Amino acid sequence: MLDKKLRIGIVCPYSWDTPGGVQNHIRDLAEYLINAGHSVSVLAPANDEADLPAYVVNAGKPISIPYNGAVARILFGPIAFARVRNWIGSGNFDILHLHEPAIPSISLLACWAADGPMVGTFHAAAKHQKVIYAIGPILEPAIEKLSARIAVSEAARQTLTNHLDTDAVVIPNGIYAKRYANGIRQDKWSGNTIGFIGRFEEPRKGLQVLLDALPIISRFAPDVKVFVAGPGDPEDVEKTIDPQLRHRFEFLGRISEEEKADFMSSVALYVAPNTGGESFGIILAEALAGGACVVASDIPAFDSLLGGGDFGALFESENSTELAKVIIDLLRDSEKRVELSRKGKEHAQIFDWDVVAEQIFSIYEMAMVGGEPIKLTSEGRSWNRLLSRDDR
Amino acid sequence: MKTTLAIALILLLTLWYLSFLATRLDRLHHRVETSWANLDGLLQRRSAIALQIAHSDFIDPASSLLLTSAAYQARDAEMQDRSSAEMALSGALKLLITDGEIHANTREQLLLDDLTKLTAKIVIAIAIHTDAVSSTQAVRKKFAIRVFRLAGRAPLPVTYEFEFDAL
Repeated sequence: MLDKKLRIGIVCPYSWDTPGGVQNHIRDLAEYLINAGHSVSVLAPANDEADLPAYVVNAGKPISIPYNGAVARILFGPIAFARVRNWIGSGNFDILHLHEPAIPSISLLACWAADGPMVGTFHAAAKHQKVIYAIGPILEPAIEKLSARIAVSEAARQTLTNHLDTDAVVIPNGIYAKRYANGIRQDKWSGNTIGFIGRFEEPRKGLQVLLDALPIISRFAPDVKVFVAGPGDPEDVEKTIDPQLRHRFEFLGRISEEEKADFMSSVALYVAPNTGGESFGIILAEALAGGACVVASDIPAFDSLLGGGDFGALFESENSTELAKVIIDLLRDSEKRVELSRKGKEHAQIFDWDVVAEQIFSIYEMAMVGGEPIKLTSEGRSWNRLLSRDDR
Repeated sequence: MKTTLAIALILLLTLWYLSFLATRLDRLHHRVETSWANLDGLLQRRSAIALQIAHSDFIDPASSLLLTSAAYQARDAEMQDRSSAEMALSGALKLLITDGEIHANTREQLLLDDLTKLTAKIVIAIAIHTDAVSSTQAVRKKFAIRVFRLAGRAPLPVTYEFEFDAL
């Protein structure tokens, strides 16, 4: 695919040093493109300049604002705008790829400041994005400058068509499927086991739903064990667990990528009871690639990722009774479990970077028809053109 | 003095707004053109591949004739007939691909693979172009743009009618 080497500018709206789905996606994409021989520069806010990879340019210290049920660490304002303009002006880019350009962030600023082939990726999927709804008319002139829009899921595309009245091509987030494909089954995690990975302290990750389902599950599967991996302090959560069930839980803390692969191929079920605010659900793609049998809430992002239930079982979000039912069914029916995980693993290949990056790159090529590079908007403004003509 | 200043300010603001709208519309027209150029290029490539397939050995004379005429028609069609001609070509190609009779050798299989890849790109290109067209149409409905004739003599872009299912 990659015969012409490009200069690609990617803008990340969220703070580079806080972990998150969008940041991971951009990191992987940038590294993939660099490996393919392109030169990539990522502009992102960051707190600490020291730890940034060579291809990341710091846009300044982010500020925290509540957004989409979580705290977003983003950046905007006149100083940021000057930095963005500077980066665009000196970057000599063939194409700009802006992530989440519909929220007040450096992505939106870049969209304002630049002219030329631009691609925007929309990650967020929320039923009621009141903020966007309110500032939609202001956003429109900026958003319509994008030559092509990408939505990471059908749900994200819905959000976009509802609020900004524009369509998008669906290209999923990428994973390195091979890294998860060859996990080694660990005895300590296998048996009647349920796996959960995520920042379990955040309510929207839905650990509570799983906790509420456990009394029923343990009645039918007395030897069930739940492994919770992910950063956070388990003490507060442990307090809320029924003392009789407490020994059914084990908190593993943060686990490495290799451990994750082993984890996914060991547990009987991987459960994602998230209650919302999920734009894509990369962890589910990883779970599928690792060969886990997945049980997930039926929030839009998960529903579309699991093909409406073809590649993993779904239950009604926040309904712990139904979750318990689905889990018990699957724990008893190993044939169905094997079948689901087999289909899931096969399906996960469409999330592999080799597929996803090629799709993204072909969007770049389409946006670049015409062959103009990225310029600053101000260079193209009529009065500036008039002034420079007077100079001559 | 004050009123003169106020009028001057309002005039300046109006002028700025009109120039802003004109730039915006200009950009949209540009987007329509480039996305069309992209789609057009892909369609041309498709008819070229269709001709290659039509001239290869593994296809029977009747299908070859059908495909050749569809490909030429798509290539030579005037703008307003373009989409129906392209749709006819899609139909001919689809017949051919779904037809179980093809026992393609490796070289022909490569052609068919190319065609599949191209088809996926065309679907996306259509979506991108349609989006550009509908945004432009929406902006051109704006009051100020109609009254001040900011669109100039640029023709109103029309959506390219193309059935995704036909591919």
